[in-house]
Amino acid sequence: MTDMSVGRERHVQAQGAAPLISMRNIHKKFGSLHALRGASLDVHAGEVVALVGDNGAGKSTMVKVMAGAHMATSGEYDFEGKPVKINSPTDANALGIQTVYQDLALCSNLDAVQNLFLGRELTGSGLFGRRIKRAECEVKAREVLSRMRLGNLSLTRPVGAMSGGQRQNIAIARSILWTPKVVILDEPTAALSHSAAEQVGDLIRRLADQGLGIVVVSHDIHNFVVNATDRIEVMRLGANAASFRTGDVTGEQVVNAMVGGNEGVNLAG
Amino acid sequence: MAEAITSAPPLVRRRSIGELLARDLRALPIVIGLVALWIFFATQSDVFLTARNLSNLLVQSTVVGIMALGIMFVLLVKEIDLSVAAINGVTSVFMAKIIVEAGVNPWVAVPLAILLGALIGSLSARWVTYVGVPSFVVTLGLGLALNGLQLILLPATARYSLNGTGLEKIALINISGNGAWLVLAIGVLAFATLVLSEATSRTKAGLETPMMRAVILPVAAAAVFGLIVVSILSAHKGIPLIVLIFGILLGLGGYVLKQTQFGLYLYAVGNNDEAARRSGIKVHQIKMAAFAIAGGVAALAGVIAASRTLGVGVFSGGGVGGGTLLLESIAAAVIGGVSLFGGRGSIHAALLGALVIGTVSNGLNLMGVENEIRLIVTGLLLVLAVSIDKLIEKATGQQSF
Repeated sequence: MTDMSVGRERHVQAQGAAPLISMRNIHKKFGSLHALRGASLDVHAGEVVALVGDNGAGKSTMVKVMAGAHMATSGEYDFEGKPVKINSPTDANALGIQTVYQDLALCSNLDAVQNLFLGRELTGSGLFGRRIKRAECEVKAREVLSRMRLGNLSLTRPVGAMSGGQRQNIAIARSILWTPKVVILDEPTAALSHSAAEQVGDLIRRLADQGLGIVVVSHDIHNFVVNATDRIEVMRLGANAASFRTGDVTGEQVVNAMVGGNEGVNLAG
Repeated sequence: MAEAITSAPPLVRRRSIGELLARDLRALPIVIGLVALWIFFATQSDVFLTARNLSNLLVQSTVVGIMALGIMFVLLVKEIDLSVAAINGVTSVFMAKIIVEAGVNPWVAVPLAILLGALIGSLSARWVTYVGVPSFVVTLGLGLALNGLQLILLPATARYSLNGTGLEKIALINISGNGAWLVLAIGVLAFATLVLSEATSRTKAGLETPMMRAVILPVAAAAVFGLIVVSILSAHKGIPLIVLIFGILLGLGGYVLKQTQFGLYLYAVGNNDEAARRSGIKVHQIKMAAFAIAGGVAALAGVIAASRTLGVGVFSGGGVGGGTLLLESIAAAVIGGVSLFGGRGSIHAALLGALVIGTVSNGLNLMGVENEIRLIVTGLLLVLAVSIDKLIEKATGQQSF
């Protein structure tokens, strides 16, 4: 991660501007379960924010509210400085918020181009419904992939024949195909080898360098979070527990904040 | 790492044999098997390779082939339709009834039968998607119910003759002489237009397009294949109309599966319906369309079968329970390479699978072998075909696409 420091400078600059997303005092109740208790999160353009926490800390609920998959029970949600109401993932997509879920939601029998455009194919009229404009899809796919420096990905192999890292990259490429402003990644490195995770980290950095706000939910504190992000927001019991500038902390400190333990308790594994 | 490979141009990957077998040449084992069967039967019977017999073989394979083509759409979305044979039977009996008893014009009755088949298919899809009962159960029950309906619709004589209605001629019409070559020319031209338009749009978009591999070779291959088939058929009586209908359906099906958004969605839904749903694809509608196509196509096959047998009766649609028609139709699709687990299979599966089953039946018949043996051989071939497919998968490490 050679360009890490560059990213951090950008982040410092970005702090001055209004955040892309500002969620404040978010509450979410599922029946009697109070999953979010006044949690807050800002996402700035050009920065990678890690959202970490123990199981049940509320980080998944938080990003689902952000992505429109859940609606907050109460709280404020501003997008580019204006209050917005996001009722569905479609609303979020329309604003420019894309989510890459942990299962990637790819079709293993389809190739990269088909997966990138799934549900949003460029089509023309034809016999028996819309005819896919394969050539135009392919050109746009190449363009996006080369912008992400993934130009060597095969466009015609079924993604099921690709490695986990390549599939992760395709899922991310798919999220940025329609030039979003914020990309949320749910456990992007969970099933990846160390080197593949590093490459995903590089990719995320390049996206942030292009001005996107990135939110990463991750359990991979020691390898991924403390190396590939700009800011670490720790959640515990549905609220914010701590906020760190990446580089100022060690993995142990982050883990301690997650479990609410004392200094010196080392749960790192 | 990523930095080092940034500006590398897209590699034109040279594919391994295994990868080719697993994808582009997936049909190769079945083609080899078919050729082997033909060689075997040619050594066993002098008549097997005559134009007359090959022409018969093609005609005998059409009903199962058309049924397989319809079922394929349902298998692609990871469902199954066990009622297609019953739909085939009940719609053809319905059609015969309104023609014979109500004097309805066959030009109205045939489309009506096809529409009815599509309607029945879409209803079972609705049951599957909204109530959540597995398609296996819904269509198994529906098939039995339709068998009952078929028996109710039949008169006391248990048979409607279609002699003199004009429908019986469908199976008798042959396009011979110049007409046959014209049909071939139109077919090849249509294919060439499609391939060429694809290539020009790629060139226009600035993508490199190997003319030789993308246009000339496929068109030449199609032309040669067509020439051989039409030559053989012309040496007998010409192109049987029902074979032409099957050919047109194969062409349309191939176009829909390969070129249209709907075709792509069939594969997506069959592979990962949750991903498809999250991509905004209306999964229920896609499944409903697949079942409707299977039902409509089964009804069309029923019309052709009725024409071949000059009437309908208890035996229509394979008889009660679907008989060999149901089993052979599903077997043909699967032997041809359509996965029962959804999302995999190309249109040629219907043709190749039906030809394998038709060849076994025709060849053993020529050898004077009993019907019992034919069933055993067909059954074993089905298991063998899927086993070979699985072995390729294991050997190449490719998942089933």
